[in-house]
Amino acid sequence: MRSRASLLGGAIALLVSLVVFVVPFAFIVLMAFKDRRQANLLDFSWPNGVHLWDNLVTVVTTRNWMLVTAFINSTILTVVSVTLLVLLGAMVGFVLSRRKTRWNPLAEFLILSGLMIPPAVVPTIWLLQGLQLFGTLSGMILIEVAYNLPFTIILYRAFIATIPRDLDEAAIIDGGRPMDIFFKVILPLLWPVTVTNIVVQSVGIFNDFTNPLYYLPGNANATVQLTLYNFQSQFNTAYNLLFTNIALITIPPLIVFLFFNRQIVAGMTAGAVKG
Amino acid sequence: MASLSLSSVRKNYGALPVIKGVDLSIEHGEFVVFVGPSGCGKSTLLRMIAGLEEITSGKLLIGSKLCNDMEPRDRGIAMVFQSYALYPHLSVYDNVGFGLKLAKTPKDVRDRKIREAARVLKMEHLLDRKPGQLSGGQRQRVAIGRAIVRQPEVFLFDEPLSNLDAALRVDMRMEIAKLHKELGATMIYVTHDQVEAMTLADKIVVLDGGVVQQVGAPIELYQRPANLFVAGFIGSPKMNFTPVRVDAVNGNRVAVSGEDVINLTVEADPSNVSPGDTMTLGVRPHDLAPNQAGSIVARVGLVERLGNETIVSLELVSGTNWLVVLDGDRPLARGETLALGADPAKAILFDAAGKSVTRRS
Repeated sequence: MRSRASLLGGAIALLVSLVVFVVPFAFIVLMAFKDRRQANLLDFSWPNGVHLWDNLVTVVTTRNWMLVTAFINSTILTVVSVTLLVLLGAMVGFVLSRRKTRWNPLAEFLILSGLMIPPAVVPTIWLLQGLQLFGTLSGMILIEVAYNLPFTIILYRAFIATIPRDLDEAAIIDGGRPMDIFFKVILPLLWPVTVTNIVVQSVGIFNDFTNPLYYLPGNANATVQLTLYNFQSQFNTAYNLLFTNIALITIPPLIVFLFFNRQIVAGMTAGAVKG
Repeated sequence: MASLSLSSVRKNYGALPVIKGVDLSIEHGEFVVFVGPSGCGKSTLLRMIAGLEEITSGKLLIGSKLCNDMEPRDRGIAMVFQSYALYPHLSVYDNVGFGLKLAKTPKDVRDRKIREAARVLKMEHLLDRKPGQLSGGQRQRVAIGRAIVRQPEVFLFDEPLSNLDAALRVDMRMEIAKLHKELGATMIYVTHDQVEAMTLADKIVVLDGGVVQQVGAPIELYQRPANLFVAGFIGSPKMNFTPVRVDAVNGNRVAVSGEDVINLTVEADPSNVSPGDTMTLGVRPHDLAPNQAGSIVARVGLVERLGNETIVSLELVSGTNWLVVLDGDRPLARGETLALGADPAKAILFDAAGKSVTRRS
């Protein structure tokens, strides 16, 4: 009886995840194969013919190869932001967990407020304009780093607390300066959390739609998520091209997830319990 | 040369004094052991020498250099930690060579030094392994190897053997003693295990409450403890104590008696003793022997027969419990009355402040 119930439960869980995760993905892929006329019906049907290549060429070449520019922009944005996040987050986590001063509570409060207080768009734009950074990729990178830093720090700090202090001290005795200790002893030991951070943050930043929309206007600055606007408007939407575009820009995060899937959970829970 | 000296060194954590003025001088090549109960400040003192704790006041000289504010890397020291503190992501080879790499030692010199250290510690076959693949004893070797390659003037050991099992501890103790002879370097060793202290040390420093209680050779501390604390701390089983009154002083012989002791003669320095003084008598369990005319009469409690010796717990007249260790096997029954005599040359008298008044050369 028990095994039948658990079997049934498993089947239901499978079915639900099928509906939630696989059906939308299948819909995207099917749409990418259709021509415009059939795609406009927006139904779950088999494509009448294979129009994938035509769709791909149109999507990539539209508006003077905008998608290529967008891929380059998004890649730079993601790689630089995530690198900065990992370095800064690990450094702040290291200092916060190792050096106890009376400023720690204040620093921790500020980090938490970064998570709790919603970002204000207009003042941020005003500030960026003042710094001559509005509408530049560097400005966008700083925004992504600022928005995601608190989460990164919190992940790192919990993990660093589990690394024995004796290791720092052994490195000090061995002649290590603070930077040596951080880069040669602490950072390599943080690898599980670093993988988690890389995956979670790079997927988040690559898929970010609203922030580039606010802070990075202009065709030359487009990121991949903004290219979706090329094919939809109030009166006229080319669904086959839209979904081809979606399929294309889903590939990079998908690859990241497939490679690091197993290590993400390990890093998320690492440091939660003293091992 | 790497002698080391501390003069009125103090350490406070906020308002709390931990090390209350330590004066100590250590000669080049000496093996010095800091020993004391938990929380006596022995590890803190070692960490101050290493440079991991700041010195609140006083002077630390290593060689002839004032090292109070010097970075640990410039002090010419190496330290072995209780937890080994090996870098888990590096192989044994890289662990041992870490300090050399930081110091930008040329690769061939580094390689030679690492292999030499591995040879001394007989761990050449372990060089490619990660610390996670080593046993406790092997990790300890690596930790010592990491100290050796630095060719320090002073080795610091912070309870290095306390994570090992009993048999391994004996082996490693001998290894460390051998290493000290081979390298001829100054070594400072912290432990709470008095067997380690007695067997390894040229000089023992007994600490309690952040104060040095006595400094001396192991046997000197055993035979001539300076005060009640050292007398009770060094030696196993512990020294027995009971309060007595001085009856008469005759040359360097003092006759004492008390509730538990009837007219016992003890050697003491007559200048520190006068008739009528209240003192504490200390006798080691091994220095008591059954004697019908003995001055200590007690009731036998628990008897532990180990074959080669018999450990008897005694209840004295005042209710004080003593231990006595008798040679060979003695079939004693619980509740039996036993008269014991104490060797006058080995019993020790302590004055009201707990200081020994017995001085022997």
